Order: sequence, then C-alpha cells, then structure tokens
Amino acid sequence: MSAVVTVFVYGLVTAVATGLGALPFALIRTISPRAVALANAVAGGLMLGASFGIVAEGTGYGAWQTLAGGLLGVVFILVTQQRLGDPNVAIAGAATADGRRMALIVIVMTVHSFAEGVAVGVAFGGGPTLALAITVAIAVHNVPEGLAISAVLRPRGMTVLACAAWSIFSSLPQPVMAVPAFLFVETFRSALPYGLGFAAGAMVFMVLEELLPEAYDRASRARVAVVVSLTLVGMMLFQRVL
Amino acid sequence: MDRTLVVLLFASLSAATAVLGAGPFAFGQRLPQSRIGFANAVASGMMLGAAYGLLVAGFARGLLAVACGAVLGIVFVAWTHSASGTEELDLNKLEGGSEAYGYQVLLVNSLHSASEGVAIGAAMAVSQPFGIFMALAIAVHNVPEATVLCAILTGRGVRVSSAAGLAVAANVSQVLLAIVAYAIVQAAPGTLPWALGFAMGALVQLVMSELLPESYRQSGSRSIALVTMVAMGIVVLLQSIAA
Repeated sequence: MSAVVTVFVYGLVTAVATGLGALPFALIRTISPRAVALANAVAGGLMLGASFGIVAEGTGYGAWQTLAGGLLGVVFILVTQQRLGDPNVAIAGAATADGRRMALIVIVMTVHSFAEGVAVGVAFGGGPTLALAITVAIAVHNVPEGLAISAVLRPRGMTVLACAAWSIFSSLPQPVMAVPAFLFVETFRSALPYGLGFAAGAMVFMVLEELLPEAYDRASRARVAVVVSLTLVGMMLFQRVL
Repeated sequence: MDRTLVVLLFASLSAATAVLGAGPFAFGQRLPQSRIGFANAVASGMMLGAAYGLLVAGFARGLLAVACGAVLGIVFVAWTHSASGTEELDLNKLEGGSEAYGYQVLLVNSLHSASEGVAIGAAMAVSQPFGIFMALAIAVHNVPEATVLCAILTGRGVRVSSAAGLAVAANVSQVLLAIVAYAIVQAAPGTLPWALGFAMGALVQLVMSELLPESYRQSGSRSIALVTMVAMGIVVLLQSIAA
C-alpha cells in the first residue's frame, strides 16, 4: 500500500512543480522569449535523457514490446492533439488572451499531463532509481509549462497565486494517472516494456514536436543545442550515479 | 581479416556513399526542399539512435570518463562551428549567397566527418557488428549531406562529377579519424570510454545544432518528429536485437 502512496506523492511533486512557473510573474509582467526557449531546451534535454534511460530499461525486458509501446505513446499524443488543437497556438496568442483562450490552454495542458502521469507510474515498475529520474525530468519540464499557462492568465488580471493554482491544476492528472499506471505494470509484469515504451515514445515525441521547434524559434540554435546536449548527458549520468 | 582493415573498409565505404548524394543532379533533377528536410530527419533519428548505443556501451565501461568525453565532444562541435564562422550557416540556402558560402559548407562537412570518424572507430573497438552498424548509420547520413553540398556547388557552376568528388573528399577525415581513434583505443584501452563519450556528445550536438533545426524549417514539426522517431526506433531496435 505504501508503494501506491509513494507513487502518488512523486506524481504530486511533478504537479506542484508546474506552479513554480507562475513565480517569475510575481516580479515581472512578461518574460523574455529567450528565457522560455532555454527553459524548453533544458526540459528537452532532460526528457531525452530520461527516455534513453527508459529505453535501456525497457529493451532489457523486450525490444519489440518497447518499440510497440513507443508507437502507442506517439499515437496517444497525436490523438489528443487532434481532439484539442495545437497548444502552441494558444501560447503564442498570449497577448490577445480572452476567456476562451484561458480555458483552452488550461484544458490542453491538463490533457497533456495524462501521458506524463503514466510515465511516472510506469517508471516505478522499472525500479526506484528510474522513477526518481523520470520524476525529476517531468517536474522540470512542468516549470516552463506553468510559465506558458501563467503567461496567458496573468495579463488577464489573474493573481500570481491563481496562476500557480491553475498551473498545478493542469498537472493534477499526473498523480491521478501515475497510480493506476503503476498498479497496472505491477499486476501485469509482462506489460512493463510496453508501458516503458509508451512513456519514452510520448516524451520523445513531445520534445521533437513541441519543445525543440519552439526553442529554435526563440533563441540561437547553437545555444539551444549546447543546452540540450549538456542536459541530456547530465541526465544520463544522474540516472547511472543514483 | 585484421580488424584495422575492417575499420578502413567500412569507414571508406561510409565516406564513399557521399557519391550517391549527387545522384539526383546527374539526371538533371532539382530536389524539392521538403525531401531534403525528411532526409535530414532520417539522419537525425539514426544519429540519435547511434548516440544512444554509444552511451549505453560507454556507461558499461565508466561513468565519469564517458560524461567528460561527451562534454568534450559537445564543446568540440560547438567550438568548430563558432571558430569557422559557420555557427548560423543556413545550409538550406541553395541559391544565391557569396562564392565563399560553397566553401564554408564544404568546410562544415569535413569538420562533421571528423567526429563521425571517431564514432566509427570507437564503436568498432566495442564490437565488430556495432562498428559496422555505426559505419552504415553514418553512411546513410552522408547521402543527404552530400545532396545539399552538391546542390550548392552545382548551383555555382561546378560540374556534377566534380561536386560528387568534393563531397567524397570532404569525408576523408572520417576514414582517417576512424583508424586513428581505433588505433588509440586499441593501444590504450582506458581511452575507450572517453572516445565513446566524445563521439556521442559530438553526434548529439550535430543533430541539435544543425540537422534538426534545418529540417524544421523545411517541413512541419509534426512530420519531422515522426520521421525522426521512426528512424531512431529502428536503429535502437536493431541495436538491442544485435546485443
């Protein structure tokens, strides 16, 4: 039973990290696009490194199953995107935010969190080290996500506290999804490589489809590249040293 | 066959595939930009998959040495780009630009192939199948690289055959460094994790600073992400099956 509590708490930590994205708005009204880009680059590197770790773990149980799971992860993200439209559109239109846009970004980000919650839960099936690494990667990834949400909500006159609350709300699916995902791979051990593949596929796709293109748009590609590469290596080292 | 000869053979083969990049121009065709974008995405995926393999092989042999080697590889590629003034070079620009632009692209290609050579040599020291696999992955990457180069050179009046020759010549450093890297890690096995890390860092930095940002400009980020992931998935799968 205590394992379930641990999984939930780790998921909650990643969710609360989203609220940190609201903090800069306590000091300033707007945030420079370059800072967002570099935050994205850090998150991208961490998530790629975490995915490498997950894949190394998953292929140990079965290479084909991991790959099939990865395919499922990509399809999952594609389908949710199809249903909700492109979140990038909502972020880019921060200046002309209206009520609908505010609702849209919170909804999009919330659905977005489901796959990340699954990743946290599945990682526990691969052992506590993997779980900690994935939790850190997703928590850091959540900070710029909270930043994006707050960038839409804050100019509409919401308080910093409310921005933080909505940011955390958007990540609540993470603790909620982490627990059933963990129980699933614990009960059906044969599902573990599929689950690990799912988490890696979803994360790598998010990095390649959203984080990196956005980062390249707003900062010099040499700087983005160095940040991504260094954090990727750092993340891999972090996972091995633990 | 002596393993050094195997390194020479496959590194040369990989360098020579650059000839194929000139293929479309031999038939007088012009390449649509989006096709180069997808070719770059395939190369990105293969190189990321190869980097994953190098990292896993490296970490089995030493943590800190691999990490330090990787930082060196990243710094090396970033530094050669900024030192040669090719940091923000737009390889998509097939027409226009000064005469020097064509030579800059040639220079970039030869700098790249140096770190790719280290990857082949280090991988070959891990195991022969892994080395051959790495050479083939880099061979596939060499084709679109040569296509871009040939498009730029033929656009400036260089004959197709000369352009193809220059594309292969730009890869000579790949053969040279593959053999040097292999010889060094054979003579001093302690350097193997450093070499694996270096190659890994250099490949990732190449993908992140050039291949990916350029392919995003040529096609939508969703299709680029999908193509990259398919290529990466296949490479990772082949590595895990071979291991």
